[in-house]
Amino acid sequence: MAMGQSVPVRDAEARVRGTLPYLSDLRLPGMLVAKIVRSPFPHARIRRLDPRPAMGIPGVVAVLTAEDFDRPGAPRLVYGVDRKDQPVVARDRVRYVGEPVAAIAAETPEAAEEAARVIEIEYEEQPAVFDPIEAAQPGAPLVHEDCPNNIFLHTRLRHGDLEAEFATADLIVEETYTTPPASHAALEPHGVIAWWEDGHLTLWSTTQAPFVVQETLAEIFGLPPESVRVIVPPLGGGYGGKGYVRLEPLAAALAWKVHGRPVRLILDRFEEFVTLTRHAVCIRIRTGVRRDGTLTARQVEVYWGAGAYADITPRLLRSAGLVRVVGPYRIPAVHVDAYGVYTHLPPAGPFRGTMSFEGAWAYESHMDTIAHQLGMDPLELRRKNILRPGDRFCTGEVIEEAFFLECLEAAARCLGWGQPYEKGKGILRRGRGLAVMMKSTLPRSRSECRLILRADGRLELHTGTVEMGQGAHTALAQIAAAETGLPLERIEVIGPDTARVPYDATTSASRSTSMMGAAVQKAAFRLKEEIRQRAAPLLEANPDEIIVRAGRVELQSRPEIWISWEEILRRHGLETLEAHSVFETHGGLNPETGQGIASPHWHQGAGACEIEVDIETGKIRILHYCAAAYAGRVVNPALAELQNQGNVVFGLGQAMMEQIVFDHGQPTNANLSDYPIPSLRDLPNELISLLLESPEGNIHGLGEMTLPPVAPAIANALFDAIGVRIRDLPITPEKVWRALHGDEADIRAPGQRPCPSDRGCP
Amino acid sequence: MKQTFELRVNGRVHRIEAAPDRRLLEVLREDLGLGSVREGCGIGMCGACTVLLGGRPVSSCLLLVSQVHHQEIVTVEGLEENGALHPVQRAFIEHFAFQCAYCTPGFVLSAVAMLEREPDPDEQVLLEYLSGNLCRCGSYLNILKAVRAAAQGRRLHSS
Repeated sequence: MAMGQSVPVRDAEARVRGTLPYLSDLRLPGMLVAKIVRSPFPHARIRRLDPRPAMGIPGVVAVLTAEDFDRPGAPRLVYGVDRKDQPVVARDRVRYVGEPVAAIAAETPEAAEEAARVIEIEYEEQPAVFDPIEAAQPGAPLVHEDCPNNIFLHTRLRHGDLEAEFATADLIVEETYTTPPASHAALEPHGVIAWWEDGHLTLWSTTQAPFVVQETLAEIFGLPPESVRVIVPPLGGGYGGKGYVRLEPLAAALAWKVHGRPVRLILDRFEEFVTLTRHAVCIRIRTGVRRDGTLTARQVEVYWGAGAYADITPRLLRSAGLVRVVGPYRIPAVHVDAYGVYTHLPPAGPFRGTMSFEGAWAYESHMDTIAHQLGMDPLELRRKNILRPGDRFCTGEVIEEAFFLECLEAAARCLGWGQPYEKGKGILRRGRGLAVMMKSTLPRSRSECRLILRADGRLELHTGTVEMGQGAHTALAQIAAAETGLPLERIEVIGPDTARVPYDATTSASRSTSMMGAAVQKAAFRLKEEIRQRAAPLLEANPDEIIVRAGRVELQSRPEIWISWEEILRRHGLETLEAHSVFETHGGLNPETGQGIASPHWHQGAGACEIEVDIETGKIRILHYCAAAYAGRVVNPALAELQNQGNVVFGLGQAMMEQIVFDHGQPTNANLSDYPIPSLRDLPNELISLLLESPEGNIHGLGEMTLPPVAPAIANALFDAIGVRIRDLPITPEKVWRALHGDEADIRAPGQRPCPSDRGCP
Repeated sequence: MKQTFELRVNGRVHRIEAAPDRRLLEVLREDLGLGSVREGCGIGMCGACTVLLGGRPVSSCLLLVSQVHHQEIVTVEGLEENGALHPVQRAFIEHFAFQCAYCTPGFVLSAVAMLEREPDPDEQVLLEYLSGNLCRCGSYLNILKAVRAAAQGRRLHSS
């Protein structure tokens, strides 16, 4: 049985040998290297751009600028998966530090760098705005002239009579929470190799969404999609940062200019920080509650600072940006207003735990503030209001699979919640906190799979799911093995390669094991049906008298009469036998009301922790952390566990360490020394992973569920320990120390104040 | 101006024609085709480009080829014996000690270097040797398990 077994990942040996071929290991004959010339200003007009000095450098093959676009036979300059607002390279204006202005293809990195240095560009600096709240005010500098107030989208969720329900409350609590931009910091940088041959484009890319890249490039170049082939090697981490379309248009346009030779573009670490970030977010949350702890109303206003280009933010705001900021609670009236705001910062996009991270930071910290004001135990307050099976969420949909309480209680029990513990003394004080979250996955998305049985008895699994370390290819192969009965060793995973494998929306939102897994199950069923039909004449029986077993087919009445799958193919003269399947989710929300179906199923996770804080330095040490996720049916327990641990480690960085600090739009810590990510020394003393399994349940993706609770659980423990409430991430020692000493001085960098809590959102 | 340097890499002597300021990382990766040596941060913080220099783990992005003339360098490619994985590599597989594995060769080499000097590492020693390598996927607990298991296996083997 392949399901439920902890089998090692498929290419484990290559991974420890260091021979797994990442994009940077690919070598093509005649390959050129690319270098991007980037804007040094957050907002400026380009007065003059002269590429000629760069062309004069020996070894330079092509220089790409905006002049190369929008002419007959040339690519389109402006693209976007939702709003078409982003130029491949800047034309008249740059809108963030690091925006590509030109690109160079050369024989050597040295020549490309020299060319980038000598290219002549004159800028005229313009006023800029970095804070999404300031950007949304009348009179703020405009990022795009056609977008007044810099608000490119406002979505709403309306559920119940808000004012009437606030009127029934005994207490109304209002707070403002913020989260800063952060870097995905995959150790493998973004990379693309682009190659044009005879009007056809082949791209090798570190993308999490090969079919979106294909579609976007086909549009930019005015080609049918089949003229664009996207191949994705294994990724050295993604975390959302490689989602959708990133460098591909630029690399493809540069290769188009070169024509005939492949061009390779790999980012350096600084460029990683200005390519895609987490949103700069301000959330105002206001909740009405009765004295007994019953929530009556909640109003949430969220400003999603999206940077200079909308990218995927509009799509996120139509669902995730509304439903991921409310919390898994029964509340009679809920209003959410979500604003997508342009600023002069690098574009923001998907980020492991997207929008649930920001949402849970606000609503779970807020729940503890309410509990404190009511004098109630935080677990008790949550227990009283949490969504249970059959409850209606604020979107109007009924939540059938609700295990929020089970997750929360599992985490709390694991920590010993409610039992006495050493509260610390002297300068070291201890406290406990917990948090729970609910996260939607993608409604209206599609995964397809093709299974090909070969005459040699091996099974090819063709999938567009990207393997980026999460173990998706291993899990999918296990599902195929379980459904067909074939041994795991006989299953080969092929893809992603848009020329070979069928469509898949994207590898994101923890959807792959669940959705592609369902597609694999469906294709396996069809393949077995096909085998049954083909076997019938050979066994001289009706198809319904035949049983399909692992690798063989037998007569129901006389099992000793059987034929192997290979033999069936051979006798029919077939090289292969194929089955194709499509798995789709439906639903979606009305963006004016937020009513509808937000998610085919819900991701559910909780965390509980005990911390020790040094009141002389503000330094927090996590003593125990319990992370509980609703896992449903587990495909590979060891990999599931690993995802769950990874969530907490990743979440610790987001909670306590990570923030890209911009000074008037200039990133000041765009390297892994000034922007530290968690190392072994930052782990909790004890980290316990709890997976709530349900063997009859659905398969769930586990790469995010327990991440969003990490930050609020720590903040709540800090409040419990020393009575200090931090509302702006990350929870650094300095912030704790200043809060403890009543030092109200704003310690955030200029331009890093998305929503000062003393002022509140407008 | 290119010069000739001699490096002993994974037991074999290589003569390299390179500018003296060419980084060891590029020499190993580009000139010698050792793909396990990977750039993550470029400033010696992440450990993805770790190699053993005379048995000591170092970041090859911080060394110039002229600094390692005539020295002994080991990469993960040099750990196998007759095609068999090193016990540390086997332990990494057994304990699921990686996800994307971009960082894995660096971790394996740091662990190998540690075990050469500290056959019975306590938690402090583990932290000292392994906290210079970063794993963004967050596989740290399993990495610790793998390295502890490799240490134990080695002690059993040698006793």
